[in-house]
Amino acid sequence: MNVPSPYPCQRLQSPPLSRREMLSQCAGGFGALALAALQQNSAFADSIDATRKAGHGPHHEVRAKNVIFLYMDGGPSQVDTFDPKPLLKRFHGKDPGKLFTVEPTQFNNNGTVLASPWEFHQYGESGMSVSDLFPNIATCVDELAVIRSMVSEFPEHTFANYFLHTGSGLQGRPTMGAWVNYGLGSECENLPGFVVLNGGLIPPGGLDCFGSGFLPASYQGSIFQPSGSGVANISPTELSPDRQRGKLDLARSLDDIAVHRDGRHDSIESAIANYELAYAMQMAVPEVMSLTDEPAHLQKMYGLESKYEPTRIYGAQCMIARKMIEQGVRFIELTCPQVGGDRWDQHSNLKKGHENNAKAVDQPIAALLKDLRARGLLDETLVVWAGEFGRTPFAQGTNGRDHNPFGFTVWMAGGGVKPGTVYGATDEWGYKAIENRTEIHDLHATMLHLMGVDHTRSTFRFGGRDMRLTDVKGHVIESVIA
Amino acid sequence: MTIIGAAGATARLASSLVVSVAMASCCLANDISVAGETPSADPVDLEFFEKEVRPLLAEHCFECHGSQSETLQAGLQVDNRASLLEGGDSGAALIPGDADGSLIIEAVRYESYEMPPEGKLADEEIEALSRWVEMGAPWPDEVAPTPVTSRPTFDLDDRKTNHWAWQAIESPEPPQVQATDWPRDEIDSFILARLEEAGLPPAADADRHVLMRRLYFDLIGMPPTADQAADFLSQSDPQAVENLVDELLASKHFGEHWARHWLDLVRYAESRGHEFDPDIRNAYQYRDYVIRALNADVPYDQFVREQIAGDLLPAPRLNPDQDFNESILGTGFWFLGEWVHSPVDIRKDESDRFDNMIDVMSKTFLGVTVACARCHDHKFDAISTADYYSLSGFLQSSDYRQVRFESIENNREISEELAALDARYRERVAETLPNEPALDQLSTPLDEAAAATVVVDYAEIASPEYMQDGFIFGERPRHAGDAVLARTDAGATIQLAKRNAATSDRFWDGLESVSGPATNKRGALVKIPQSGRTLRTPTFLVEHGNVAARVDGQGHVFACVDSHRMIAGPLHGQVVRPIKGEKQWVQLDLNRYVGHRVHLEFTPSTDADLSVVLVTDGATDEMRAQLEQHESEIADSVAEYESAVDSAVLEQWQQLAADWAVEREKLSERVNRRSALAIAMSDGSGEDDHILIRGNSSKPGDLEPRHFLTAISGEPLEIPTGSGRLQLAEAINAADNPLTRRVIVNRTWHHLMGRGIVPTPDDFGVLGQRPTHPGLLDYLATEFADEGQSLKDLIRRIVLSRTYQMASQTDAAAVAADPKNLLWHHRPVQRLPGEAIRDSLLVLSGRLDATLFGPSVPVHLTPFMEGRGRPAHSGPRDGKGRRSIYTAVRRNFLSPFMTTFDTPTPFSTMGRRTVSNVPAQALILMNDPLVVEFSRDWAERAIEQFDEHVERIDWMFQSAFGRPASEQERAIAAEYIAAQASARETTADSIDVWADLAHALVNTKEFIYIP
Repeated sequence: MNVPSPYPCQRLQSPPLSRREMLSQCAGGFGALALAALQQNSAFADSIDATRKAGHGPHHEVRAKNVIFLYMDGGPSQVDTFDPKPLLKRFHGKDPGKLFTVEPTQFNNNGTVLASPWEFHQYGESGMSVSDLFPNIATCVDELAVIRSMVSEFPEHTFANYFLHTGSGLQGRPTMGAWVNYGLGSECENLPGFVVLNGGLIPPGGLDCFGSGFLPASYQGSIFQPSGSGVANISPTELSPDRQRGKLDLARSLDDIAVHRDGRHDSIESAIANYELAYAMQMAVPEVMSLTDEPAHLQKMYGLESKYEPTRIYGAQCMIARKMIEQGVRFIELTCPQVGGDRWDQHSNLKKGHENNAKAVDQPIAALLKDLRARGLLDETLVVWAGEFGRTPFAQGTNGRDHNPFGFTVWMAGGGVKPGTVYGATDEWGYKAIENRTEIHDLHATMLHLMGVDHTRSTFRFGGRDMRLTDVKGHVIESVIA
Repeated sequence: MTIIGAAGATARLASSLVVSVAMASCCLANDISVAGETPSADPVDLEFFEKEVRPLLAEHCFECHGSQSETLQAGLQVDNRASLLEGGDSGAALIPGDADGSLIIEAVRYESYEMPPEGKLADEEIEALSRWVEMGAPWPDEVAPTPVTSRPTFDLDDRKTNHWAWQAIESPEPPQVQATDWPRDEIDSFILARLEEAGLPPAADADRHVLMRRLYFDLIGMPPTADQAADFLSQSDPQAVENLVDELLASKHFGEHWARHWLDLVRYAESRGHEFDPDIRNAYQYRDYVIRALNADVPYDQFVREQIAGDLLPAPRLNPDQDFNESILGTGFWFLGEWVHSPVDIRKDESDRFDNMIDVMSKTFLGVTVACARCHDHKFDAISTADYYSLSGFLQSSDYRQVRFESIENNREISEELAALDARYRERVAETLPNEPALDQLSTPLDEAAAATVVVDYAEIASPEYMQDGFIFGERPRHAGDAVLARTDAGATIQLAKRNAATSDRFWDGLESVSGPATNKRGALVKIPQSGRTLRTPTFLVEHGNVAARVDGQGHVFACVDSHRMIAGPLHGQVVRPIKGEKQWVQLDLNRYVGHRVHLEFTPSTDADLSVVLVTDGATDEMRAQLEQHESEIADSVAEYESAVDSAVLEQWQQLAADWAVEREKLSERVNRRSALAIAMSDGSGEDDHILIRGNSSKPGDLEPRHFLTAISGEPLEIPTGSGRLQLAEAINAADNPLTRRVIVNRTWHHLMGRGIVPTPDDFGVLGQRPTHPGLLDYLATEFADEGQSLKDLIRRIVLSRTYQMASQTDAAAVAADPKNLLWHHRPVQRLPGEAIRDSLLVLSGRLDATLFGPSVPVHLTPFMEGRGRPAHSGPRDGKGRRSIYTAVRRNFLSPFMTTFDTPTPFSTMGRRTVSNVPAQALILMNDPLVVEFSRDWAERAIEQFDEHVERIDWMFQSAFGRPASEQERAIAAEYIAAQASARETTADSIDVWADLAHALVNTKEFIYIP
């Protein structure tokens, strides 16, 4: 019997067969069928599962085929990262209420104006300012489009997380990754189209940040752990591959008898085909999760040799993400690793907390951008770096910052993004967006747009409405598009 | 660039104005409004407008607020003066001469609205606009541009007339058919008539074993055991199918299976989700209520009534075995949604909660999407925003509680007897006295300013406003001078009450409220023994924030602001305050909540006294001192009067006290002190809600009286007192409501046939699909009502119809003519729901624990189930062998097995589950250790029972598929056993080999796809 291809997503060209022809020709064994399935082009794949494959397809030119969403859980501070505000230094220690209108905050424990503990420097040809928190990302500024005028509707984590992920502050709505796969389908048949690489911190709101909501369950995010078996139920319990194959061949023979007896039904034939995919996934997942074959210099570049464990974890996540991109996984989200404190959510000890978080992600992210660029993949991969909100320019207590949905920074790179761009601005305090205010819906609309999807036309009817990721809102931010 | 753009826009506008003016001059100016007259059309001012203001408006505003806007935002058009004066949803946008008072200026200053949304205008631009308004908003005398697009108007009557679902239910005669021998029921005539019309034949009858297996799964959600299957298949009785149906309908497992369908509608969960996933304590009592109600075949209208208003029924349904109040448990459905802690905008949080409640209620019972009308009139259906907020009023008038449902009815009786008993003795005490204390004349009148701060006064509260959870505060407050029985060291004595106060009665000491086990208790309220022991003030609007209550005793006060009860986290902790014996005022700092609706809940500590005299908002220390002074004057006068009572009378009192105490003691023995708790609703102050403009909770508009959907019966309901939910329930159940019965018969059809007659069971609106067989839908709805709204009877009829019993084999011609099977030429194959798959495995493994009811088995936590609020302990992998409906549904930790097989995320009504078909399902059946374990247990049972391989194989097929193995299957299975035994160098009786056979059978499609 043939050995399954080590590159399961590679499309070998062979004449398309109809599914029924396939099934009847491949009755010789499950393994054979699995391999055959891998070798088929979309004529086979399209019929496997209408709900999984039936993306409505792009509406216009596709700039980004895939997305890597670097989720900065907890809300990094804009004025300490990408949005320098020298005025804070001048008014450090002053009562913010006397300088500007202070909105209600989550902890209602507002202190005085707090200057950033970090210096900002200009980098690259664009001369973009980045704080000393991100010395590595700073070397990539000419790849970035930084949006300094993001706003959210919610100052609470969970609402804001759901909102950033699903376009609604409430629980149970489909998340971005689900929408993208709903819209475009999955190009990778033996890995899920929507993967969450869990670094250790599932955000507030839980797994519903990655759910499919009212979309079919097939679009929900698959949680991959960077260690262990990677994915739930991916490891056979049989002691040898032969035993599993024997068992599945038996089931297959009985299925054939049943199909012969009861007649053909699409749902049953799809289910039979799904066994082939599942069988292939058992091999594909360990392969994509293994980094041992990666060259030493790349491992080093991604931070896999770092002394700081969170950097090693996030480095591995970034490297796996790149491998998944190569395999055509449509949407990959990375959650943050544990750094001891409380993710980016520094209600106190801003300095230590932000330093640790930045240390975990800075080197791996820069490596990811460079590696994608070197492989020619960055142009078709949209990388998005975002938290659910920003932080207040005044202190919470003495040395923390509270939640701030009124103005914060996110950035995008690759995938049709205009590089070296700064878009929008907050006020002189870095508190509220005042120029080119950008809503989460706008970010979503833009991401979808870059993927070739018109956000107003990617709808799913539920509960009497044609639902969208962008609800009834959202404008594509043309200025950040190349 | 910007300037050129703006000029361009102005130029375009100007040219369109020319056209408009030209048109106006040659046609009757009926529909063309003339711009509001500018009082001082000073040319300099006009020039300022043209140069500084109009370009600004054109550049930043017209796109959304102009005559050319596709959809006019907020109903506001700003390209002419009259429209600005008239305003939009939020009222006038412009007050000439008053920049600070003009909404448009507020909006550009980002003070309330933030316009333009893409970014604040430059300071000098804002200044220009302000100056223009201050000038009196000069605008040249010109014709207002006519909107280019005809914007759809909302005409409720028109929509009602033009959509099928609002039309009255008809009672059509079953149609004539040619093949008169085919129908077994009128249902079949409706189906066959359409098939005959299309020239399509119905499929053959399903095989007996296929039908049997279908019935088991459809009616009880479990497969027949091998014995049950063999027994049924051996019967030759023509009544056998009917008998089986009756048996299954009578099975206690019927309710479990159909309850799961219902739980999908009411987004059933046992935790609140959100950040920390706290418990919804005792949610399982609602689940058990539904199971019992369905098993008891409670008429559907009663089932509806109980869920909407089960707490308000004059004669609640009692549990036949244990006498507890069943009806009240139904109201738990309202409160199964997501709850959040520490919302910064607490009123918005309330409006989101209400939105979910309205959404679930309207979809579940009415199959319409009322929540789509939260921000604007429904885009497609005959549902107005006013309808939405009229329903919101019912919720605003209602409260959440954990009810002592086991004791409530008994203790209600006791409380009535107690009230009568106390009244009788008060009367007898009064008879011993020559006169009453003349309190009114004795006290000096209260200072008006102090009196004005009193928002709740238990001296003068009207009886419907005297609200409590339980009975311990009596039927009315104690009045100063009331004779009360006091317990002193010397025994029972009679005293006169010294003040007017709602007073807890120690008669009720020892109440014990029992909750199911906690997983994740959070919040300041969980430790307060509120159930059955809480006084609830009327709702009032916080005007000052400095709220204080005059109290005596020990306990807690909770200020429930905007019905928010998830008091945990950084915000809102100030709404819960202890009441400690030494101070007689408890103060609440509610400054944050000025302008919000609030009521207070007073709960005594366990077996402690608590009385509440009054509540103030905004009283100064001096005012409170005056209130105290007033109170003590009353107390003094009572004391003075009491001290004048002569000794002969006191002797009489002693005897009366002794008798009174004995009678109370006797009554007390009948108190039901221990009760389980369940989520329930109760009535608060009856109030209408404001229409929120564009759904924005900070923009309240007019009050909307509580009524039902206008398209059905929009007259304000006659609500004698309280929330009016009972009247709402009657409107939902009304015979002329075209929705309720259609919706439930359609749901039933959907569950049995795999697709509803209306394929979108939660949406009968314009965006939903139309019924494939409208006549059948109405026929079933009519019959259902005529036959007493029995769900079991309805199910029985459908499953005994020939339509239901068709085979799933398809006829090529029929498929070609009707590929979607809209006419029902065959019965489609159904994939089992996740619950039935797992339950089947339990049955096969012999590990099913068929116990009904009770607290859920904690969900098994895999390493992939992470996040905040993760339960400290994982549940057992096998769920203790209980049916899947008893596995805990924790919003943030849903069973991956269930979600993979499409058990819905509980956030809104889900009457039709998606049926996905993905590799993850195969991976579960292939590799989930639980599936492997169950398969092995099943194989062990086969080996234990049978020595012969053939018998084992037969039994396994019989138990997995409800049929014996065919010759071919037997041979293949036997061959596998032999081959594996030899490959593994083990015997053919090895459990390993048989376990693998079992696991292979579980992985056949026939196991989860039911023909």
